[in-house]
Order: sequence, then structure tokens, then C-alpha cells
Amino acid sequence: MIQGVILVLDDTEGGICMMIGFVIIAAMAALAFAAINYYGVKKKDPGTEQMVQISGAIQEGARAFLNHEYKVIFKVSLVIAIVLGVVVSLSGAIAFVFGAVMSASAGWIGMNIATLANVRVSNEARNTKSLGKTLRVAFRGGSVMGLSVGGFALLGLALVYLVFGVILKQATPENLRFHTNWLGISDIPFTMTVSSYALGCSIIAMFNRVGGGIYTKAADMGADLVGKTEAGIPEDDPRNPATIADNVGDNVGDVAGLGSDLLESYVGSLVSAMILAAYIYFSQGTIAASLVSKLVYAPLLVAAGGIVSSMVGILFLLVKKVSDNPHKELNAATFMGAGFTIVSSGIITFFLFQGEDVASAGFALGALSPWVAAVLGIVSGIVIGQIAEYYTSYDYKPTQKIASSSQEGPALTITQGMSVGMISVMAPVVVLGIAIIASHATAGLYGVAMAAIGMLSFVTVTVSVDTYGPIADNAGGISEMARLHPEVRGITDELDAVGNTTAAIGKGFAIGSATLAALSLFSSYLYAQAGESVEHGIELVLNMVSPLTLVGGLVGAALPYLFSGMLIEAVANAARKMVQEVRRQFKADPGIIKGTSLPDYTTCISISSAGAISEMKIPALISVATPLVTGFIFGAGFVGGLLIGTTLSSVMLALYTANAGGAWDNGKKYVEHGHFGGKGSNAHKAAVVGDTVGDPLKDTVGPSLDILIKIMAIVSLIAVSIFGKFNLFALLG
Amino acid sequence: MYYYVVFYPIEALIASQLEPKNFGMYMARGSKKGSAERLMFAEIEGDCSEAFDWEFARSKCVAHANGEPKHSLYLSIYRVIEQIPLEAYKNVYLVNQDGTTLALEAKTYKASTDWKGYGLYKEHCPVHPFIASSLKPKELAAYIISDTGKKITVPAIIFTDIRSIDLEEKEHTGNIGSMFERDLDHLKECIEDVKGQNGKVTKTIDRSFDSKFTYQIIGEGIYIAKGEGILFYPMPNREELKEIDYDWGRSANIFW
Repeated sequence: MIQGVILVLDDTEGGICMMIGFVIIAAMAALAFAAINYYGVKKKDPGTEQMVQISGAIQEGARAFLNHEYKVIFKVSLVIAIVLGVVVSLSGAIAFVFGAVMSASAGWIGMNIATLANVRVSNEARNTKSLGKTLRVAFRGGSVMGLSVGGFALLGLALVYLVFGVILKQATPENLRFHTNWLGISDIPFTMTVSSYALGCSIIAMFNRVGGGIYTKAADMGADLVGKTEAGIPEDDPRNPATIADNVGDNVGDVAGLGSDLLESYVGSLVSAMILAAYIYFSQGTIAASLVSKLVYAPLLVAAGGIVSSMVGILFLLVKKVSDNPHKELNAATFMGAGFTIVSSGIITFFLFQGEDVASAGFALGALSPWVAAVLGIVSGIVIGQIAEYYTSYDYKPTQKIASSSQEGPALTITQGMSVGMISVMAPVVVLGIAIIASHATAGLYGVAMAAIGMLSFVTVTVSVDTYGPIADNAGGISEMARLHPEVRGITDELDAVGNTTAAIGKGFAIGSATLAALSLFSSYLYAQAGESVEHGIELVLNMVSPLTLVGGLVGAALPYLFSGMLIEAVANAARKMVQEVRRQFKADPGIIKGTSLPDYTTCISISSAGAISEMKIPALISVATPLVTGFIFGAGFVGGLLIGTTLSSVMLALYTANAGGAWDNGKKYVEHGHFGGKGSNAHKAAVVGDTVGDPLKDTVGPSLDILIKIMAIVSLIAVSIFGKFNLFALLG
Repeated sequence: MYYYVVFYPIEALIASQLEPKNFGMYMARGSKKGSAERLMFAEIEGDCSEAFDWEFARSKCVAHANGEPKHSLYLSIYRVIEQIPLEAYKNVYLVNQDGTTLALEAKTYKASTDWKGYGLYKEHCPVHPFIASSLKPKELAAYIISDTGKKITVPAIIFTDIRSIDLEEKEHTGNIGSMFERDLDHLKECIEDVKGQNGKVTKTIDRSFDSKFTYQIIGEGIYIAKGEGILFYPMPNREELKEIDYDWGRSANIFW
């Protein structure tokens, strides 16, 4: 058996094809598993006619939005693909489109399964009255998204590697060098191809996250501000005209948006390691060709091992007798996925690198160095997740303190929440710092990239758990809207509550991995900036005292604030329109509140949809255009500073917004669970203000910043060979 | 034709063609103005007192030309409950801000077995204070109504007993709204006053507490007393409420 593995893990073309075959089989298996779970959920009874009607309206709204959004993305993507084809290479354009299709497919499938699963989860609770059995249906639905994210991301990247890297030989050691295209631009073709694939994923992620984030929060705030606060009707009450839009928002924001976000992070981490391997080889002539090949495809193998491990974790939860403790069950699936990933990546790394002169690649701990780095990533991801939980869960002091401050009014709720959010930034940054230093000491910059991969290697199971949350949330909404028995609503509410905690932990992973991947991409950027002179060995130094670089850093640090401000304003604009519409409907038709006539749900869906579509364009384009525009004016040094500034500033802002928003949200829930007067108290009113302020921060701004970091790094990496040569400052001498 | 005595937030006798739940919805939400306010009322028999013009009600409380029922015809706006005999009362209705309405049926009065030596009460009609008392509900009503040498009495009263909480444990209160939010020391002093040996039977904690009163803190139920009689409308507990009207409970913030 071991001999067989050793035979497979060789560096001949046949051996590489077999290994990529293994990666493709793993990805296909994940997609097949997703299909089985999809139909497993679909064949379940959706419940009463009323339940089917409600879920149909949610599904229709979600589909309409995603169709509309994808039309916009298609136009933008077409322009980018043409530019890539003309300026970079045809392979880059094809890989870009491929990446965009893979990411869009995952988002689409995720949204579809979520809108199918929600009503079936609700009906399972209705039929069985069992928390465990209902959890299983919700998780099966979530697993479709998780398996699709892992499967599509890896399948696409493996095919890109197989077609362009192996068949067209872009990834052979002799071709991992600079080529000059018809425009006189020099780059390493393979790095451009995989970067373009990552860019395709990033573009979809940016639009899905920004668009979905604006949609979901506009609907949520509109529904809450008028329905709950002014009219006094409870959450998910069918009399609220914005309630269907709110539930649609869960699907387009928290499912499609989150799925493409994590797919992008996953691909970003894999691609950053592959690119770095190419540059390390190019810059250090001492590395053997066989080793460099392995460094390039090792991330794919580790990821494949992670997918298989995640499938075990998912299967474990789907086949075992599920207890009535959803948090424990979901954690068990996640930790099982992580545990098996550690084992599988250890085996793969050992057999892949054993016998190689790994010291030449800067590995300090022999063949297992990349594995040690990956484990550091996994552990630091879990620690960052736990830190996020500490600062955002109402089981701990920080959030309880926000709830307590609410007794003194909304001003102190906001102040205390800001304090918790700001304080919460330090600990994960220290963990990241330790992970970066330790992984770098273990395997150099490649180790840092492997740490990012480790953090996301079991993304399949973490996305499954994350997607379970909005499905359970929607199921709760349907149970309320269909006026199901209180026991049923109790079950779906309990499942929903667990989803809130898992979401906070997931955000910790997303931010951590984005930082590590951005650092790897930034290193590649410096290599690419140096161009062919890298061949003679360079020290990766960014001259921060250069005025252009320093100013780039300053602008970069300010950019996330501009970006975040625009997103918050976009949410506020759309929410304002929603508030006005809900008020108008209540006033125009008193029968709505009496329950004798149905509200006009469609207009509210249209408001959220139109608001998100119109407002998402500029922030998304800023993220792509800023490095290009500044690069062509000020040159590569400025963009280097820009990337550092944006990365540092975004990480802090993303951690702050995610944790402050999460803490405000759970602070409100703590009060609602009967503390400090509970619902209806002045403390509750203040906590609701905090939650409303935090909503766009944690669900729109924070997740979008993760993508901002990587999309800017990838765009810069692709374009640096062009604007490094052709920029206004260089032309002016 | 229905007759309703609204006793919170105003005191009024209203004739209406709307049955109780629709009347509650109408009063809470209005027909056009988009209001959103809580109210409590009781349905009563017509012709139960000579103090009101029932003929006027019958002649004016008729459907509109378009067939729409007459929503409300005010027959009297103060000193209403003193004129209504207890036998005329039917159900009491608690209306949420969103118009959802819970019906409470009168049951035989039973003194609480969980007596701590004092009770907290919210008077709704004819005046609105929040008080502490050393008396149980029936005795309190008799004390307030009967002339025992006191300067002030009322002929009839509607009040609620209030759930008492652990005043030393402010964090884990349960869903009680803002009733116990401020000046707990004053509340404790009032309780000590009525529990003490100085013969003080009642103590006003706050003269008007309407804005802080919520259905979450109703203890045993609602009491309507006149003369020597008392009607008791028990408030369902959480589990009972889940079965009776879960949606009303959610609107009333009783459930999470």
C-alpha cells in the first residue's frame, strides 16, 4: 500500500497526471456527494400548501436577484476576460472565465439548495418534533454548499493545472520562467494562468458578497425598523411586507455570498502557494526541478486530502444517531474534518517530499515542513475562531458587558461594543503573527502559504456548517410565517441560535486565511515586480521610506475605510427605501396588520434587489480599479505600499467589524433571553440599536474586506508586469 | 352590537359592531392613522346600568352606508367602571401594539399560595399608580373601596398583581420589560414599609407607571372589584399561553 503511494507520488508526467487524477476524483466525489445530498433533501416532503407558497416566494426572490446580479457580473467579467486575453494571455482569459463559472456555479447551487432545504427543515421539525432529525436535514442542505465550494474550486483549479500546467506544459520546471508576450510584457505564464483563475473566483465573490451583503442587511433593517420597532410585530411575522425579502437576503447574502467568499479564499490560498513555488524556483537556482514540481502541486494534493477528510466529517454527522445538542454535533463534524485533514496532509506531505533536498527550498524540518506549517494554520484558524467566539458569544464577559451597558442607554451600548470590537483585534493578530513567524521559520514563504491552505483545507465542512445557519434561520422564518405549532418553532429557533455562533467562528477563519494568503500573494507580487532580475536572486524588500511607497501605504490604509463607508451608505440607502415602503404599505392597507390582506412582498424584494444591484457596482469596481489606476500612474512601488496598507488596515477593520457586530447582535440576544429586563425593557431597546448598527458591519463590511485584500493582491500580481513597465511616473522620468 | 369598557390606557365605554378581537385590532391600530398602542378592555352586557344612554347607542351604532360596520361609538369617557355592576362583565381582552388580542375568562378568585408577605400591584382604573401592599388582592380591593375612615376611596377598581422578581439579582430577571429598571432602592424601601410593623397597608411606588407596564409582568391575573365583589381573570402561564395563543405571546414579548 505504502509502496503504491510512493509510486504514485513521483514527478514524471504520468505520476503527476495520476496525482491530479486523484485530486480530480476527490473533487468529483465531493460534487457527487453534493448531488446525492441535494436530491436527498429535495425528495423530502416540503409540508403544507402554505409552507410551499412561502418557500416558493423566497426561492423566486432569491433566483430573481441572483439572475439579475449574474447579468451584471457577466458584463464585467466579459470585459475583464477580453482585457486579460489581449494584454496577458489567452490561457489567462480562459482560466479567468473558468474560475468565474466555478464560483458562480457554487453560489447558484448553494442558493438553490438553501431555498429547497429551508421548508423541508421546517417540515421535518413539524413531522418529527425531533431536534436531531431536523438538524440532520439542515446540515444535509448545508453540506451541498460546502461540498460544492470544495468540489468546484478544486476541480476547476486541478483542470487548469492539468490543461495549462501539464498538457500545455506551463508548469514544467523549464517553463517556470519569464516569457515576453506580443506587447513586450514579461511574466511567468503559469503564475498568470492560475492568478487569472483566482481572479475569476474573486470577481464573483466580490459581487456576491457586496451585492448579497447590501441586499440582506437592507431587507433585515427595513423589516426590523418598521415591523418590529414601530408596528410591534414579531420577527418573521407574515404581516411584515419586508419579511420575505429578509429571508431572501439570508440566501443571497449568507449562502451565495458566503459560499463564493470562502471559495475565493480557498482558491486564493492554493494559488498563492503555487505561484510562490514558481517564483521561489525561479529565484533560487539551487532547487531541483523535481522538487519544484511537487511544491507547485502539493497544495492541490493537500486540498484533495482535506476534501476527503471533510467528506468523512460530513458523512459522520449524516449517518450517526444525532443527539439533541446541535452545537456539539456540528463541532464534532468540524473537528473530525480537521483531524482527518491533519492526518491526510501529513501522509501526503511525507510521501511527496521524502527523499527530496527540501533544505534547498528553505524547509527547516525536513519533508514534513509544509505539513507543520499547514497544521500551524489549522491550529491558528481554530484559535482565531475560538477568540472570535469569546468576544462575540453571550456565554462570555465581553458580550455580557455590552448587554449590561445597554441598561444605561444606546450610547453606552455603542461605546461598549466599539470597545469590545477594538480590543478583540489584538489577540487574533498576535495568533496570526505567531503563525506567520512559525510557518515561515518552518518552510519559508511557502510555509506561510501552506499555513493559509491548512486553515482552509477543510473548508468543505466549515462551509457546510456555515450554510446550515441561514438554512435554519429560513426554516425558523417559514415556521413562524406558516404559524406552525410552538414546539416546531422552538426547534427551528434553537437550530437558528446555533447558526449564529458558527457564523462568528467561520468569519475568524475567513479573515485569518485572507491575511495569510494576501501575504503570500504580496510576496509573489514583489517577485513579479522584480521581473526577470529575480533569476539572479533578490531580497524581497519593500522600501517603505520611498515617498511613493509610503503614500501608497497611506492610501491603501485609507481605502478599506472608503470601501466600508460606501458599503454602509449603500445599506443605509436601500434600508431607508425599504422603511418607507413598509410604512407606506401599513398605512395604505390597514388589512395587512389585521391579517385580512396580504402585504406586497414583491415590491420589498424589488427594493432590496435594485438597491443591491445599483449600489454594489462602485465598491466592487474600486477594488479592481484602484491597483490598476494607481499602478499605471505611480508605478509598482506605489502599489506595493497600497497592498501593504490595504492588507493591514483591512485585517484590523474586518476583525473589528466582525467582532463588534457579532457582539452587539449577541448582546441583544442575551437581553432577549431574559437579562436586564429582557424583551421590552429599555436595555433591550438600546441593545436593538447596537444590533442594528452592527448588522451592516458584520454581514456586509467585514466579509467584503476579506475579498478586497485578495482581489487587490491578485489584480496587482497580474498587472504588475505591465504597470511596472508602463506607468506615468516612469514615462516622465 | 357589543359594549366595551376600555380601562387602559383610558377609561371609556364604547359601543361597537366589531366583535372583540376585531375591536382590539381597530383600537390598537386605527383604521387610517397608523397608530400602534396597547390597550385593555372588557366586554360587558348592554343595559346594565342606568347611567348610560343605551338607546343612543342602538340608534347611532349602525353600519355605514357602504355596509362597513361601525367601529366605535363613545358612550362615556370617565367614571365608567363605577357605574357597571360586576355581573355585567364578560371577558377581559389584552391587546398588543400590533393589534393581536388575548381573551381572559373570569374564574373563581383564589388567593395566591406563593405569598411573600407583600404584593406589588399596578392599578389601571380609575387611577394608575404602581403600589406595594401588605394585602392580598381581594383584601386590597376591599381596603381601597370600603370606607374605613380613610380620606380617599374609590367605588370600583381594576388592577393587576405584578410578578415579583429577585431584587438582588438584576441581571437574570427574565423578560419583564422596564418595570424594575430604575430606583430599586426606592422599591425596596416601599416593600419594607408595607412589610414592617408600622401598620402601613399600601405604599405608592410610582404615581403613574403606564409607560412601563407590560403584559410580561402580570402575576396571577387581572382583578375587577366593586363594592364587596371581585372578579378574577387569571393570566395563563407561559406553557398554557403557548397552547392558547403563541402568536399573542410573541407579540407581547413573553417568548424569546
